[in-house]
Amino acid sequence: MDFRPLNDKERQKLTDALRGNAQSNLAILMNRRDTSFVGATEEVTDEEVISAIKSVPCHY
Amino acid sequence: MGLFDSDEGKRRLLTVEVPIIERYNQERDAEYRIQLQRQGAGLMLRYRLKPMHNIYEVETRLLSSYPTTPPETRALTPIKPCPHLLQGQLLCMWRQGSSWSTSRWDPARYTCVFAVQSAWRWLACYEVWHDTGEWPLPDAK
Repeated sequence: MDFRPLNDKERQKLTDALRGNAQSNLAILMNRRDTSFVGATEEVTDEEVISAIKSVPCHY
Repeated sequence: MGLFDSDEGKRRLLTVEVPIIERYNQERDAEYRIQLQRQGAGLMLRYRLKPMHNIYEVETRLLSSYPTTPPETRALTPIKPCPHLLQGQLLCMWRQGSSWSTSRWDPARYTCVFAVQSAWRWLACYEVWHDTGEWPLPDAK
């Protein structure tokens, strides 16, 4: 695969969302159509729930 | 309990797993939908994830002993050796022997779509690690 790296701003936004998800109960939202990263949020609507990655810790 | 050979397993599939997969697929572009395939006494989910710019082919296997045993998820797209990656490109997501409940798969709380979402989060961590050499989340115990 030709890996396309993140730019600094994208990497920071994604890192903040991942850490917010793990440590501060933020949900990560995926795009409903293609699963791409949308952002992080404290509140998830019923419509968004299937595309929201809740703050459930995993091993990694 | 076997997924296909016990009433309990069939009920789990029909009332929990299949409906939530259908909901996941509902507004998804065709190439990003979860495809289901029976594999012996288990079930295979094949799908694509695109956390950022890169697209990954992924499969999650539900063994016949699922949901008691956690699903196994592997990347089919070649990725670099990195933290939390096991042999065969298996993503290390749960440790059933862990003393921390947060590191263990809980069949009462999680579904196969949660495993898909966890794979997304793992791949997002990989994208950060690929650029920085640092896994963005602290290791669980």
